[in-house]
Amino acid sequence: MESDRGAFRLVARREFVERARDRSFIVSTAITLLVLVGFILVNAFLGGETRFELGVVGEGSRATARAVEAAAPSLGFAASLETFDSESQANAALRDGSVDAVLVDGRRVLVVSEAPEQLLAVIQVVSARERTARELEAAGLTPEEVERALDAPPLPVQALEPLDEQSEESSVVAFVGVLALYGQLLSYGYWVASGVVEEKASRVVEVLLATIRPKQLLRGKILGIGLLGLCQLLLIGVVGLTVARAAGTLTFPAGALAAVGAVLLWFVLGFFFYSSLFAVAGAIVPRQEDLQTTMTPLTILVLVSFLIGISAVGDPSTTLATVASLLPFSAPLVMPSRMVLGQLSVWQGLLSAGIIVGATFALIPLATRMYSNAVLRTGRVRILDVLRGER
Amino acid sequence: MLELVDLSRRFGRVVALDSVSFSVAEGEMVGFVGPNGAGKTTAMRIALGVLEPDHGEVRWRGKPVDAAMRRRFGYMPEERGLYPKMRVLDQLVYLARLHGLSRTDALMESRRMTEVLGVAGRARDRTDALSLGNQQRVQLAAALVHRPEVLVLDEAFSGLDPVGVDVLSGVLREQAAAGVPVVFSSHQLDLVERLCESVVLIDRGRIVAAGKISHLRAADPRRLVRVEVAGADPSWYGTLAGVRVLDPLPEGAILELSDSTRERDVLDAAQVAGVVRHFSVVRPSLTEIFRKAVQE
Repeated sequence: MESDRGAFRLVARREFVERARDRSFIVSTAITLLVLVGFILVNAFLGGETRFELGVVGEGSRATARAVEAAAPSLGFAASLETFDSESQANAALRDGSVDAVLVDGRRVLVVSEAPEQLLAVIQVVSARERTARELEAAGLTPEEVERALDAPPLPVQALEPLDEQSEESSVVAFVGVLALYGQLLSYGYWVASGVVEEKASRVVEVLLATIRPKQLLRGKILGIGLLGLCQLLLIGVVGLTVARAAGTLTFPAGALAAVGAVLLWFVLGFFFYSSLFAVAGAIVPRQEDLQTTMTPLTILVLVSFLIGISAVGDPSTTLATVASLLPFSAPLVMPSRMVLGQLSVWQGLLSAGIIVGATFALIPLATRMYSNAVLRTGRVRILDVLRGER
Repeated sequence: MLELVDLSRRFGRVVALDSVSFSVAEGEMVGFVGPNGAGKTTAMRIALGVLEPDHGEVRWRGKPVDAAMRRRFGYMPEERGLYPKMRVLDQLVYLARLHGLSRTDALMESRRMTEVLGVAGRARDRTDALSLGNQQRVQLAAALVHRPEVLVLDEAFSGLDPVGVDVLSGVLREQAAAGVPVVFSSHQLDLVERLCESVVLIDRGRIVAAGKISHLRAADPRRLVRVEVAGADPSWYGTLAGVRVLDPLPEGAILELSDSTRERDVLDAAQVAGVVRHFSVVRPSLTEIFRKAVQE
């Protein structure tokens, strides 16, 4: 004889298995992964180093061109050289776009109409330095003295707000994380609601309630669907991290890993908070077509939280972000970016998690009661009636 | 014995059940009849624990029914319900397991039920891909898959074609013969009369008659004759004094005679009207008992 716990597990397993092998689920997961991998690869491709081609004509250009090639990386790009026998050949290459600029005899720079500014700047600086060096040597300085005179150390630059590459990458990760959480909370919340309606509309709920309690049915459903959402999110996170690492777009893997962890944690907390509400939204309508109306307050709540979450990626320290990260309905979408961006003390994190867990535990018995009161009734059910338990 | 003891239940101001009590012995098949809205579904839902009674209790083998005992009951609700997208066999296995069967037993019994009910060929198909008739069979399989100790079927025969009626009748007889108490509600009173030895009649939340059908018929004091006259204008019996038409038939009627009217006089009148094909003194049918009970 199965215990009550056994029935609850059976319900959860059915939800998980039936949905996981649903074709639309498999297809949508595959599409999500494809889009993610495509996004990462395109980024890796576009985000690769900038490279300019410099045409070289005449012996007099050699030394300058080599110096340009050597200096380019310090300015954030690469320069490669291509030697031409004549200026006319170089002109042709310039016109067909295979080179960005041509240095002629170390005296002139040819461009089509304009050349990339960084490239021109380097050419100008290098060439000026070489001409100065020649002048100084002609004036009688030894090459060492010339070297010393020209290699003055650059002025130190002091930033008021230092640019932190890690925090930039974290922002991107946090943005993707908030986006993923938003999509996941909404779609899995919808699944709970529509799953409840499916049982209600098909009347299978009466067959089920002849063997198990409404509480077991509700909790099993929520657990099964939530577990599937967690697995899907985990899969997306692992694939995303692996591909990004392989493509070399991830400079700080530890930060990204922590971000994925934060997203998973807040999905769990957020899903369990929202799911029982979505279940009630499903239990009070007779058909799938009516679900939209009862779900709207919930989807608006998620949407507003999402918008706050996005703004928190830009600036995680606003009062709005701080308050929203403590409220149970918005915390799942605001907290992860604040965690990832490091704008958080430990006690704030614990407090926020504590609040949402507490709210969830307060909500579940109420939602279970409303669900139990509503799920066997036909027609649209008034929310006040199911709250009071009137029949 | 399955006992419903003094069950009462209200929905708001509506009294759905008012001190309803009846019992079904092991191996007995009981028809549960009454007009729409009489309280049949409410009583059955309470028996299955889907609804709570305001008062009263349900007993099985002398003990108040708890969740574990209810899992061994089989139930077919009035509004049939299956997961439309689930495959037939998966669905049966799932329900069998909810009823407490082990994984192996659930699979074995589910396969057996699909064979018994002739849907084994569709076991791998989605339920909503099946015809309505086959879905009904799956529904019945769902009620029987865990070899229930008690069987409760609400509007058991509604929506079935004659072949489906025969299949279901056969299955219910087998279950009763195996010692399972079977109770089903139906509006098809001729079927109830054919299948059941006993009947429970409910109207407006109260039991108005219960017992063996033969006893109820014998206890009915009305004197009835069934008469069929070929080619006669039906108005011939309208002129007879002390006769009331209980049930018109294609070529005659079932007539109720007042105390002072003799069968002989009716037969004479019939012979005057035309060629008498049939004349018999009959006991009231379940339909007539039902009508009378509901009218009172």
